[in-house]
Amino acid sequence: MRRIQRQLCRGLLFLLTLVLTYGLGQFGASPPAAQAQSRIFINQAVAQFDGPTGPVTTASNETRVGENIVPLQIVKTADRAAAEPGDVVVYRLLITNPSSRVATPLTVTDQLPRGLRYVPNSVQTTPLQPTQQVLTDSSLTLTFAALDPGASISVAYAVLVTPEAVQGDGRNVAQAAAPGFAPVTAPFQLTIRPGIVSDCGTIVGRVFVDRNFDGQQQPGEPGVPNAVIFMDDGNRILTDPDGLFSLVNVLPGYRVGTLDLYSLPGYTLAPNLYRIEENSVSRFVRLSPGALGRMNFAVTPTFGEEQS
Amino acid sequence: MNQQWWIGCGALPLWGTSLTIALVAPGLVGVMAPALGQSALPAYSLVVTSPLDGPVADDEVLTLREALELANGTLTPEDLSAAEQALVEALPAGQGSQISFALPEDQAVIALVDLLPEIVAPELVIDGTTQAGYDADAGLDPRFPPAPVVSLTVAEGIEVARGLTIAADGVTVRGLSVYGFRTSDRATQTTPPSDIFVSALAPPVDASPLSPVLELFRLETPEAAPRGVVIEQNWLGLPPDEAFPAVPSAFGVTVFNAVETTIRNNRIQNHDGSAIITGFRADGLQVSENAIIGNGLSGMPDAIRLEGTIDRSAITNNLICANDGSGIYIYRPEGATQISGNAIQYNGRRFERAAVYLMGSDHQVNDNFIGYQPGPGVVVTAYPESRGNQIRGNRYAELDGLAIDLNTQGNIGVQDFQKGDGPNPPRNSHHRRRETGNAAIDAPQFDSYTFATGPGQVTLTGTADPNSEVDLYRVDGAGFPYSPLSERLGTVTASPEGSFSASLSLPPGTRVSAIASDPEWGTSEPAAVAAVATADGAVPELPATPIELPSCAPPAPPPEPEVPPTPLEPLRLEIPRNIHFALDRSNISSESAAVLDQIAASLLEFPFLTVELHGHTDPRASAAYNLALSERRALAARDYLIRQGVPQERMRIVPFGLTQRRSDESSRLAYARDRRVEFVFTDLRGLEIIFIDQEADLQLE
Repeated sequence: MRRIQRQLCRGLLFLLTLVLTYGLGQFGASPPAAQAQSRIFINQAVAQFDGPTGPVTTASNETRVGENIVPLQIVKTADRAAAEPGDVVVYRLLITNPSSRVATPLTVTDQLPRGLRYVPNSVQTTPLQPTQQVLTDSSLTLTFAALDPGASISVAYAVLVTPEAVQGDGRNVAQAAAPGFAPVTAPFQLTIRPGIVSDCGTIVGRVFVDRNFDGQQQPGEPGVPNAVIFMDDGNRILTDPDGLFSLVNVLPGYRVGTLDLYSLPGYTLAPNLYRIEENSVSRFVRLSPGALGRMNFAVTPTFGEEQS
Repeated sequence: MNQQWWIGCGALPLWGTSLTIALVAPGLVGVMAPALGQSALPAYSLVVTSPLDGPVADDEVLTLREALELANGTLTPEDLSAAEQALVEALPAGQGSQISFALPEDQAVIALVDLLPEIVAPELVIDGTTQAGYDADAGLDPRFPPAPVVSLTVAEGIEVARGLTIAADGVTVRGLSVYGFRTSDRATQTTPPSDIFVSALAPPVDASPLSPVLELFRLETPEAAPRGVVIEQNWLGLPPDEAFPAVPSAFGVTVFNAVETTIRNNRIQNHDGSAIITGFRADGLQVSENAIIGNGLSGMPDAIRLEGTIDRSAITNNLICANDGSGIYIYRPEGATQISGNAIQYNGRRFERAAVYLMGSDHQVNDNFIGYQPGPGVVVTAYPESRGNQIRGNRYAELDGLAIDLNTQGNIGVQDFQKGDGPNPPRNSHHRRRETGNAAIDAPQFDSYTFATGPGQVTLTGTADPNSEVDLYRVDGAGFPYSPLSERLGTVTASPEGSFSASLSLPPGTRVSAIASDPEWGTSEPAAVAAVATADGAVPELPATPIELPSCAPPAPPPEPEVPPTPLEPLRLEIPRNIHFALDRSNISSESAAVLDQIAASLLEFPFLTVELHGHTDPRASAAYNLALSERRALAARDYLIRQGVPQERMRIVPFGLTQRRSDESSRLAYARDRRVEFVFTDLRGLEIIFIDQEADLQLE
């Protein structure tokens, strides 16, 4: 029992005592109605505890509630409202500081939607130059040293629309932020039209070890990783660890693919005992606009490689 | 029981009647249970007296084809002549038929002109050891059975896909030499040709119009798979005189769809593809005490390739030597296998693969010798998820990689499926377990790179995964932090906190490493090597172990009384070191053949010489095409040397493509000099050899 008491005492010695002083300050002698607007609440928290070397006091920073901070302004525009794969879109940002305080440092970020890529070295800023810029394929972050009250910065950059953009929504949001200012955003909606890829098709397929020689993959017939398929237009496709592959944005028409046997040593094309047509080194697909074609390659352990 | 396929290619027109029977029958056979067939077949003792092959005829002699048809029940003794009936003796019911051989002397080569009928007679025994002249006592090592007398091969100029096709339970094949079974290329390949093909209803060779309809080709029902087939004391892929066959076989034994197959005491050599390959189902496969040498010459390069369901299979006490790829490659299996007591050495002649490549979980790799491989010892793949593989008690030597390599970080590149990915970083997150072989069990770490020895004993300390068993190994070879583990010193268990300590009596200069095993996760990669130092901290150099001569040869007979060795005179020898090729060609010209004869003679005279065959091309055409062309050139040169009798284990294929030209010029002469195979001799043993860059066989465009 005494031991517990002693422990309690020791615990109490290190117990935190939090003393909150809630300071209320009044500035100016305006009447109550006008006071409501210009009244600024300054808030600071102080913590005090008894440490092993005596009482310690720490204070937090001051927060000011009610101060009239005019937010930053950001406007985003582009040189077009609709784009197709292959187009270059030029975006412009205008960031203004209408407040009476200096925004330092100012950070401008822009995250691009799916399938849009920055054109390298296309960022131009006036009149200030960024102190730091981080550019990747799909995002941009610019940092400026300071934006004076009433001043503004114009940022322009170019973006390439890739075929993948068709699958995205085309909406991107730029953001400007500085300490002491609430972040502001400006969205821009770009309408993505399919354009030249509107009638492209997709080819899917697989490379697998065929054990019953029917050209189809059943349970117990594993895929072959890292097999190479060549298309008639020179595309080189690598299968994934399960032997699967897919190729998007294939031009419609007659497409031919063949397996590069050098990429899978020890295997070669398996016979198909059910469909004589598939006893062939290549697969032929008639791809309609927007259609899905299939190229399956059945393989089997090989011998006599020097014959071919 | 017309359960065989009649395959079109090579079928003689005389056989029209048999063909119609075969095509009518399948409808009946499909519903017949195998057990029913067993009781229905009469059993005979059959003596094959003729090596001829051809249509069944009532003549004076019994051929193997007639014997198999009698056993299968597709032929009755009444169809035969009286002379033949004398060679057939009915056996009591419930027993399997027996085929023995009494071939005329010097006519023991059965050259087939077409596929033999598929064996559907259960418990049939085909016994080549019954032929007169078979010396059962000639084998000194069970892995090297005595030379068979009866050979089963293919008539010249004819293509036969399979030697024996076994579809019945309990069939035994003993004491035969089977070689020469392969097919030529169609647009796609044929179904696997093999010396011995074990499957319920083997698939037809190809989809030719004469092949039957395929309703019967079913793999799913395990009851239909033949059970308990035994293949023993055969020579597969080589004739009884041990010569390289004129037509090499494609695969040795294909266990396509069979359970509890036993392959023991065979010598399996010189195949284009694997010596033993499984297909759809090979549960309970037992491969024991075989000599598997020099296979995978131009096809699936791995000596034993296990695919499909392989549960309860075991590979024990084999010699797996001088094959072109891995010794054992387990590809996407279902079920676990046990690999123990094998000598897996000098493999990877053409592909720098791991000696043993494991996919799947709970395999056991114990007490093997794994060495002389241009790749790591044992690799466990990262994908598909593989864990619980116990790799313990093995000895390793002369590897180009880790003794045990667990692929990590989900590595799925081309190299990762052949050579592994090298030492892993320690596990820093539980996610590593899902993307690393053997669930990322950490390699042990010694507390220090040197341990000072105390009085008589040295105490090795380190950390490992908690509660894992740490096997300490002595390591041969200096200079590398991950030298092969050569000898197990002992085992300690790591504490629950993950520390271990072992006191051993080791001489200063010994280098040690360790592996950790956990029953749930499996065995780790080896620890970085630590050395035992003297009390004052010095690490003396221990004498190096002598390098072994590459050899897969059968054990020699007891040595004759020793003649005093003649002191080796300083020899001066001139060997040509290159041969040349025509544009875009990989065939050996007659001039090049003369050069190769000189090289072969030197290699045969000095058995310690080993050689790397470097293939080169001229700079025209793409790099990938030229790499393949240079490999074909090196293979052609090797093929020629093999046929001259040079053992495969002394040659390695290294294709260079267009990367190493002789000169920078672009004349026809310079290109002709570029199209070459260079022979780089290693292990000269102080022999003074002058290598000559000869140009006698230069071929201009």
